[in-house]
Amino acid sequence: MVTKVLSMPSNERHVIKINRPKMEAKQGNPGLSGSPEVNTIIESRNFWLYYGSKPGVRDITMKVYSSSVTAIIGPSGCGKSTFLRSINRMNDLVPGTHAKGYLGVNGTNVYDPKINLVNLRQQIGMVFQKPNPFSKSIYDNIVYGPKLQGVSKADLDDLVEKCLHSAALWDEVKDDLHKSALALSGGQQQRLCIARALATKPNVLLMDEPCSALDPIATGRIEDLIIQLKKAYTIVIVTHNMQQAARVSDRTAFFCLGELIEYDTTDHMFTNPSNKQTEDYITGRFG
Amino acid sequence: MRLGVRLLINNIFTYFSAISIVLMAGSLLIIIGPMICKGSGAIFFRSTVEFRELQFNMHNRGSKQALDEQKALAESARTPVYEILNHFKQGIDTSSLQTKVRENYRQYGQQLRFQNIDRNKFTEYRNQAKELRDELVAAYESVDVNEIRPHLQKVLDQANNALFQNTPIAEYFQFARDYQQIISTVDLRKRDQYAQELTKVQEQIRLLLGPQPGRGKPALAMDQYGATRMDRAKVVLDELMWTTQWVEIEKGKPLQKKRTPRAEIFAGTEMEKLFSYIEQNLNAMLLPKPAVYWQYLIDDSTPGHFFGGIGPEIIGTLLLTLLAIAFAVPLGIISAAYLVECAGDTITVRIIRICINTLAGVPSIVFGLFGLAFFVLYLFPLAGMQSKPCILAASLTLALLILPVIIRASEEAIKSVPQTYKEASLALGASNFKTFISVTFPAALPGILTGIILSLSRAAGETAPILFTGAVALGPIPRSIFEPTRALSYGSYDIAVGDRIAALVPHQQFGIVTALILLVLGLNICAIAIRWKLAKRFRGT
Repeated sequence: MVTKVLSMPSNERHVIKINRPKMEAKQGNPGLSGSPEVNTIIESRNFWLYYGSKPGVRDITMKVYSSSVTAIIGPSGCGKSTFLRSINRMNDLVPGTHAKGYLGVNGTNVYDPKINLVNLRQQIGMVFQKPNPFSKSIYDNIVYGPKLQGVSKADLDDLVEKCLHSAALWDEVKDDLHKSALALSGGQQQRLCIARALATKPNVLLMDEPCSALDPIATGRIEDLIIQLKKAYTIVIVTHNMQQAARVSDRTAFFCLGELIEYDTTDHMFTNPSNKQTEDYITGRFG
Repeated sequence: MRLGVRLLINNIFTYFSAISIVLMAGSLLIIIGPMICKGSGAIFFRSTVEFRELQFNMHNRGSKQALDEQKALAESARTPVYEILNHFKQGIDTSSLQTKVRENYRQYGQQLRFQNIDRNKFTEYRNQAKELRDELVAAYESVDVNEIRPHLQKVLDQANNALFQNTPIAEYFQFARDYQQIISTVDLRKRDQYAQELTKVQEQIRLLLGPQPGRGKPALAMDQYGATRMDRAKVVLDELMWTTQWVEIEKGKPLQKKRTPRAEIFAGTEMEKLFSYIEQNLNAMLLPKPAVYWQYLIDDSTPGHFFGGIGPEIIGTLLLTLLAIAFAVPLGIISAAYLVECAGDTITVRIIRICINTLAGVPSIVFGLFGLAFFVLYLFPLAGMQSKPCILAASLTLALLILPVIIRASEEAIKSVPQTYKEASLALGASNFKTFISVTFPAALPGILTGIILSLSRAAGETAPILFTGAVALGPIPRSIFEPTRALSYGSYDIAVGDRIAALVPHQQFGIVTALILLVLGLNICAIAIRWKLAKRFRGT
C-alpha cells in the first residue's frame, strides 16, 4: 500500500491511494463502449518508461483507436507528455531513458532496437506545445519532411497546398509562401506546424498541449481543425484544459503520478467518472 | 517613502550606466581618433616635387613634361643654395683643395712631357710650378692670415707668366684669388668648427633637397630623394635652422635643452645668408601641393618603409587572418557540435572543456613558440617540406590561437538553440546529422559569427604568434603559402623597435596602425552585416 501526499494543504481528501484506481482502470473495457467497429492503432501493454532509475510512466495498458481523438489529461508531472513522446520515441533525446513492456503502433513495437526511427517518426506526426516553425520560409517548413522522404520536386507544390488546406491556413498565406514562417502570428505558426506534420503523410498525429501558448480565438481555430482532421488521422492530444478535452476528444485518458487512472469515452468520463480521483480532477477539486 | 527610495536608486543606476557608456565611447574616441587622424596623414598630405619625382621614377605616375617643368623651377630656386655651399666649402675644406692643387701639378708635368722640350728646360719649368704649388699648399695649411697673405701674393705675382698660360697651373691663380677673398671674411681659427658644422648642414640639406645635382646617384633609394612630404620638410628645416644642446643650467639639476640658431655659428660668413634663404624659399625649392596618395594602400615600400606604401602588409594580414579563420572555423564548429550534441557529460569531456577554456587564456607568445617548434621544426620536415617560417605555419598558429574562442562561442550558440527546433526536425524523421545541418546550425549561426568576429580581430592584430612562424619585416610579396609574408601587426612592431626609422617616418607607423584598425573594422563590419542579415531572417521580419 503506497500512499503519496501531493504538495497541498494536508487534508484527508488529498491523500491519493495509488494502486486502487489502477485496478479499476484495468477492470473496465476502456474506450470500446458503443463503437465496436474501430481499429486499434496504438496499443500499450504494461508499458514502463524510466528516466534513469525513476519511472516516468508506470505500467500503462491502453489502446488508441484509429480516426478518433484521444485526449490525455492529468496534473503536471503525471507522465502524460512522457507517454505521448514515447509513441514516436522523442524521449530518446533525454539521456538515460529506457523502456519496459510493449508499446506498438500498427502492430510494431516502437521500442524494438531494430526499428527504423526515421520511418516511425514519419508515420507519426507531432505538434509541440510551443509553435516551433523553422527559421525558413513557410514553403520550406512544409517541404522539410517530404524532402527527407525523397518526394520529387514536381510534387512538392501540390503537397504544400494540400497540407496548408488541411491545416486551414492556405487562404491566409497563399500569397506569401516564401516569406519567413516566423513572421506569422502564434496561431498561424501552430497551424503551420500542424501542416508540416501532415506533410509526411502520417497515420497518427501527436499533439502535446498544442494550444497552451495561444489565445482563445487561435485555440478555437485549432480545435476546429482537430475535429476536421480526425476523419483522416488518429489524433492523440495532451491537454491541461479539461474543456478542450471535452470539446474535441472522443476518448479521454486520465493520468496521475505516472499511472493511467481511468480511460473511457469522453462523454462517459466527464459525466459519470467511475473513479473518485478522476471526478475530483475534472470537477476541479484537485489538480 | 520606500517607493521614492526605490525610484531614486533606479534613477541613479540608469544615469550611472548611461555615463559609463558615454565615458567608454569617449575614451575609445580619444584613443582611436587621433590615431586615425595621424594615420590618414600617410594618404593625405602636402607633397613636394621630390615626391612627384619619386612617383614618376618608381611607378611611372604623373606626366614627364609637368615634372620636368617643376624640377627646372625648383632647380633654379635651389641653385643659390649650392653656390653658397660650394663656395664656402672651398675656403673650409682645404684638404680637398690641396688634393686638387697637387693633381693640377701632376697634369702639368705630363703636359710638359708631351711637348718634347729638352730635359733642362723641363726641370726648370717644373720647378717653377712646384714652387707655386708649395706656396699654395702652405697657404692652405696655415691658419694665420698674416702668414697666408705673402704665400698667396707670391703665387699671384706669377699670374701673368706666359709659361703657365693655358696649362693646369693657370687655375692656381683663381684658387689664390678665391682664397684671398675667403680669408678676409672667414675666421680661419674656427675652420675645424666650421668644417664639422658644414657636414651637418650638408646632411640636412641632402635630407631636404636630395643629393646635390651633378654628384652622381646614391646607391640607396632612401638617399636618392629629399623630403617628399612638407611636414617632414618642416622638421628637417627646423633641424637645419637650430642646433640643440643639453646644458647644465643649474648644478645637480637635470640637463636642459637649449636651442640656438645654427646661423650664429656661421656669423659673419657668407653662409649666414644661406639659412635665411632656405627658410624663405622653402616653398619655391620644394613646390608643395596637396596630394592624395591612395596608392599607399597598394604600393610596395622601399626597404625600411622610408618611402612607398603598405600593400604587401595589407595583403599579408588579410591572407593570414582569412587562412587562420578558414582553418579554425570548421574545426571549431565541428568540435563544438561534438561537445554539445554527442559528447554527453563524462569526466573526459569535462577535462576537455577545462583545457579549451585554459587555452583561451594562454599568452600568444606561447602559441608562437609552439607554432615554431611544432609546425616549422617538426611537422614540416616530417611532411617533406622545407623547415622555414611561412604563411601556412603562421596561419595554422593563429588558427590554434583563436580555436578556443571559436569553440566556446559556437558551443554556447549551439546550446542556446531551443530544444523545440531540434525536436521539430527529429519528429519529422530527420536524422541527428540532418537536424544539425539544416536546423541547429543555421539557428546557431549568428552566435557562431559573434565568435568569429572576436577571433578575426584577434588574429589580425596578433604579432607574437607570427613572429617566429611566418612574418618578415622586409621581403617580396609571397607567391605561395609556403613563403613568409609581411603583416601589418608585425610591420608596426618592427618600425617601432627598428633603430631610427620610427622617428624619420612617423606617418608610416601611424599609417600601418590605422590601416590595421580599419582593416579589422572592415572585416568586423562584413561579419556583423552577415550576422545581422542572418538574425533578421531568424526573427522573420
